[in-house]
Amino acid sequence: MTSIEVTALTKEYGSTRAVDGLTFTVEPGKVTGFLGPNGAGKSTTMRLVLGLDRPTSGTATVGGRVYASLADPLREVGALLDAQNAHASRTGRNHLRALAVSNGLAPGRVDEVLEETGLTSAAGRRIKTYSLGMRQRLGIAAALLGDPPVIMLDEPSNGLDPEGIIWIRELLRRLAREGRTVLVSSHLMNETASFADHLVVLGRGRLLADTPMRAFLDAHRHDRVRVRSTEQSRLREALVKQGYAVAFDEDGKLTVEDAQAADIGALAAREGVPVLELVDEQTSLEQAYLALTAEDAEFAAQHTPSGAARS
Amino acid sequence: MTTAAVLRSEWIKIRSVRASWGSLLSVFAAALAVTLLAFPLIGQAEADNPDYDALFSAFYAMNFAQIAAISFGATAFSSEFAHGALRVSLAAVPRRGLFYAAKTAVIGLAALALGLVTSFATFLVGQLFMGDYAIGLGHPGAVSACIGGGIYLALMALLASGLTALLRSGVAVLSILIPFVLIVGFVIGDMSAGVAEFLPDRAGQIVLHSEHTGTLGPWTGLGVTALWAAASVLAGWWAVRRRDA
Repeated sequence: MTSIEVTALTKEYGSTRAVDGLTFTVEPGKVTGFLGPNGAGKSTTMRLVLGLDRPTSGTATVGGRVYASLADPLREVGALLDAQNAHASRTGRNHLRALAVSNGLAPGRVDEVLEETGLTSAAGRRIKTYSLGMRQRLGIAAALLGDPPVIMLDEPSNGLDPEGIIWIRELLRRLAREGRTVLVSSHLMNETASFADHLVVLGRGRLLADTPMRAFLDAHRHDRVRVRSTEQSRLREALVKQGYAVAFDEDGKLTVEDAQAADIGALAAREGVPVLELVDEQTSLEQAYLALTAEDAEFAAQHTPSGAARS
Repeated sequence: MTTAAVLRSEWIKIRSVRASWGSLLSVFAAALAVTLLAFPLIGQAEADNPDYDALFSAFYAMNFAQIAAISFGATAFSSEFAHGALRVSLAAVPRRGLFYAAKTAVIGLAALALGLVTSFATFLVGQLFMGDYAIGLGHPGAVSACIGGGIYLALMALLASGLTALLRSGVAVLSILIPFVLIVGFVIGDMSAGVAEFLPDRAGQIVLHSEHTGTLGPWTGLGVTALWAAASVLAGWWAVRRRDA
């Protein structure tokens, strides 16, 4: 199968370095979430992979080949960069037809992807009448047109309604199950957590993490237990005596930092405090991501006193 | 990816945007409408002027057709710069040389086909109202003028499309080229010799005249216009080839 290989990729716009020595590989058969704050270089990286922008140095290839050398690129890579990137005066169908014809795709593919993205009834309307969600669907239809083994989507769920978000999640999972390489950028953590198997995280153009989602969550795990009992203040005293950092949360539960539920349960039993609720808090992707970017910001603060020093 | 496939795709793109398809059709529509308005009213009256050129007067409507041809060339290319459509186009056809050549060829060929039809139609329809002053295709230089007029319209469309690729804006190109052909020619007036003769519109329209008094002849004049168009197309290529999309 085909993967996306990014090697020592750097792109400078004037004195700003949008992408800075990036190296990673996007593997087939899973959904790779591409994370980072706005301006971290996600979209630039995607444009470099597609050969739309030229790298200052380094390479970006698909299946070992430079994008521009692909014979019929839509059969190899399907990309959605920005849902607005379509001439608004064309109908959805004509937009797809022009793309399909250029790559010698069967005319029937146009109707198939329209059907798949739920745009059949809107296909004859001009794109300017489409809502943002419909434009996203059209962009995804264009990406699927050549039935490509590699799919690259930049913020695909922008503007989608709740049904649309569920639809895109299931679509991404299915594409990965079919063995395709799926790279999806987002700045929405909960959403990414719902479909990604692997994560590539950028910050200020640099690679911050390239790791399976599970490992990422574990690496940035912060152990914390929530507990509720009939005698909160007695339990609290006992915990503090044991050296735990304890606080009341907004619901009146006790939160115990750096603790495991098993230890707290045993402690409560020894103290004879009846426990009503006891749970290990799960690390969310959002928390793990914020922990990572906080480390990066700290590193940046220590190593580059001013932003100008980098350029 | 075949050249034929990319050409077909570019043709679909022109057909499917109202601005470009409409301006292509308006090359013909504008010329015919002006001919039908002007010739019945003033055609024969003009023919009494002492410096009357029966051939050049027959192509009066070309002044309007060339504006439409310029608009067509500009809008056919500027549709790529609207809404970032160029990114999608180059993702589908990443060989920029192939993309640019196919688009330029389709613009040139479409303008040539419609230009030839327009040129002949304008000539033949206009003469229906000329009564005793009417000339036919047998008139010396008439067929050359009709063919040359079609080529001239295609070259003006290419001049506009190349500039649009360079400046990335149809509006900018229209606001340069249209005043240029309307005003510069008018200000310079009847000066037929000197530098003015080598301006793209002046040179290319020599073929529409019965008599050629300047340095350039009908075909060398079109050659000069072709050089202008080629320079513009090459400048556009330089921009499309090297810029980030």
